[in-house]
Amino acid sequence: MTDMIIVTKDLVKQFGKFTAVNGLSLQVPAGSIYGFVGPNGAGKTTTMRMLTTLTRPTHGEAWVAGHSVTADPRAVRRAIGYMPDEFGVYDDMRVWEYLDFFAACYDIPENQRKPLISDLLELVDLTHRRDDMVDKLSRGMKQRLSLARTLAHDPSVLILDEPASGLDPRARVEIRELLVELSKMGKTIFFSTHILADVSEICTHIGIIEAGQMIAQGSMNDMRAQLQPHREITVTVKDSDAAALVRSTLESFPGVIGIKDLEPKGGRSLVRIDYSGDDDGVAAMSGAINGAGIAVLGFNEETKDLEAIFMRVTKGIVT
Amino acid sequence: MTPESVSHLQRVLERAARILRIGALVNGALAGLILVLGIIGALRIFPDMFATLHRLLLFNTPGADDATVTGAMLLALLNLSLLLVLGVGALARETWTLAALFALALANLGALIGLGYTLAPLTIAFALYTLYVILRDRIARGAFRPNPVMIKELRGRMRGVRAFVVLTVYLSLMGGFAMLLYLIYSTAGRDPGSAAAGEIGRVLFNGVFAVELLLIIFIAPAFTAGSITGERERQTYDLLRTTLLSNASFVIGKLESALGYVMLLLLAGIPLQAFAFLFGGVSETELLLSLTILVITAITLGTIGIYFSAGNERTLNASVRAYSTTLILLFVVPSVISLILAVLNGFLFGVSGLFPYAPLEAVFVYLSHFLTSINPLAAAVTTQNLLVTQQIAGFYPFTLSVDGTTIPLASPWINFSILYTAAASILLTLTIRAVRNLDERELPHTV
Repeated sequence: MTDMIIVTKDLVKQFGKFTAVNGLSLQVPAGSIYGFVGPNGAGKTTTMRMLTTLTRPTHGEAWVAGHSVTADPRAVRRAIGYMPDEFGVYDDMRVWEYLDFFAACYDIPENQRKPLISDLLELVDLTHRRDDMVDKLSRGMKQRLSLARTLAHDPSVLILDEPASGLDPRARVEIRELLVELSKMGKTIFFSTHILADVSEICTHIGIIEAGQMIAQGSMNDMRAQLQPHREITVTVKDSDAAALVRSTLESFPGVIGIKDLEPKGGRSLVRIDYSGDDDGVAAMSGAINGAGIAVLGFNEETKDLEAIFMRVTKGIVT
Repeated sequence: MTPESVSHLQRVLERAARILRIGALVNGALAGLILVLGIIGALRIFPDMFATLHRLLLFNTPGADDATVTGAMLLALLNLSLLLVLGVGALARETWTLAALFALALANLGALIGLGYTLAPLTIAFALYTLYVILRDRIARGAFRPNPVMIKELRGRMRGVRAFVVLTVYLSLMGGFAMLLYLIYSTAGRDPGSAAAGEIGRVLFNGVFAVELLLIIFIAPAFTAGSITGERERQTYDLLRTTLLSNASFVIGKLESALGYVMLLLLAGIPLQAFAFLFGGVSETELLLSLTILVITAITLGTIGIYFSAGNERTLNASVRAYSTTLILLFVVPSVISLILAVLNGFLFGVSGLFPYAPLEAVFVYLSHFLTSINPLAAAVTTQNLLVTQQIAGFYPFTLSVDGTTIPLASPWINFSILYTAAASILLTLTIRAVRNLDERELPHTV
């Protein structure tokens, strides 16, 4: 088992009578890109605020990089870079001053700040805007600058709240690429989003939260396996005779749960096989069809997309 | 720095601040004790109480026994304020704290040798021990630095032409005002150096001082009232809280930058005040004392502003509360109470007073004196009056009308300075607590 860099145990946050987070247990492996997904109001931001020491849990405990968020918040702050969902603008600041200020807040000595700022600006591709005022930047640039800020003290974990919200498609892709880049540099990236395309594109792990509770989490592969009790394999053949042959060949194949003819498409016949076996089984199945001398035009496994998974596990409870 | 050394540094700094807070409490307790003993002495229960206290507390200081005892109490109060401020400074890792700790120890050593102030070793011990705690630790020693918030704020404030224009407009208005005063008061035949010319000098000096004071009263709370709420409103506050910036650094940095600008305005106005020297009639002591009053007023009112800024969610609320507190404290309370006191005073202790009891009259005198010291303008006017008419800038005896005995009074600027410094240091400590409390009782954050 890999090391967990963020661990929460029965985390609860109540605001008066309202329970925003209700017994959340979260595990983020070191080095992962962890997508924290859930409907609006599910408790994503509150969870992140507890992990970043901005708000204290009512019950339960959370550790980031081995430090307790309640007992040693300063050590946690040293270990994380946090980007909230709104960009805090200082209206009378230049880009380099913005980074310089936050670097100073992280106790980076003055003589190290200048080269650091150059590196950070280069990383987020803002070197040419170094002397511009922060509030003149586009939203995408601000988001990138914000990301550069979270990196000033070389944290091991980045906690990003909706890093791609409100960005145009191009800026979104840029941020996504930047996150992958940072992950390659060894950072753990924990980010919340409701854009599932981002998650399926870059995440290695996913956690789905609803009504303050974790309803599913794990690596992307595990999640897919866990949420799909059986595989669906579609075999495309030339005509209905071939389809009948496929049926008879696979009827007694171990692990096959059901076989069904689909509507022919473009003059070709399609057969769908529900199968509960593993990868070796799928390969054996393909071999069996070929062994029966059937001319196969296509043999592919339907992967359910993340949206289907998400719709299946969430119940639509919004607090 | 690693996360572990961050926690270690925090522990060292908190320890240093705790030592200084204990030192402040000890000084406060001693000041209270001297006050109680002084009251017992004033009631003449023990006839030689003041003489004994004088020998015990300030053995090397000449002067009336009761006045020196009051002086010892004021010194303890001053030490209390300075230790409190330095405690916050240590938490905020302000470089000046280290120098100031050393200076405080030196000044107390001076008071011990020069005045025979026997309580000085306590403060020296607290200051030096704190220095030792900080300096022996390699991480803590290296952690003291210029305040990042102050640098950020001053960069913003002094950028472009705005700061320059504000300063120019301010000086032009002040210059115009001084010119107007001169034109009104100057008539032919008043040669430089003559008594009449001295009068012009005095009017100029007082006029410029009054305008600067008013300016401070209106600017200082405004500069600071929005400083913390502004960060909340711009949603930059959470960013700062997830950095290693401590609450103390944040508050001190905000205060430093706001006061820095006010100080710039004050310093720029000095040449105008100094014009009065051309006409004579104003002494350097007056200039120094007036500057002291202005600077201390600015610091304390700035602290009131930042206190309300820490305890409120919105700048508007913070400003309204800071201004109302300032105005009530500065004008309403002193004027109402001194009116009541004046009436009662004549009624009870006058020539045919109803209640000719000396200790009670003394209490009344001290109360009205205290009220004078709350308002910077009243304190300045009284101080100047004493200085001009009796050449007194320190302690002086006041004769009670009931039985002709004398009680010691300090020139109002002394009470004012110590009172305001104490208020500022306590407010500063409370502000940092308020910032923490507001973080704790946080509202639900909707996505």
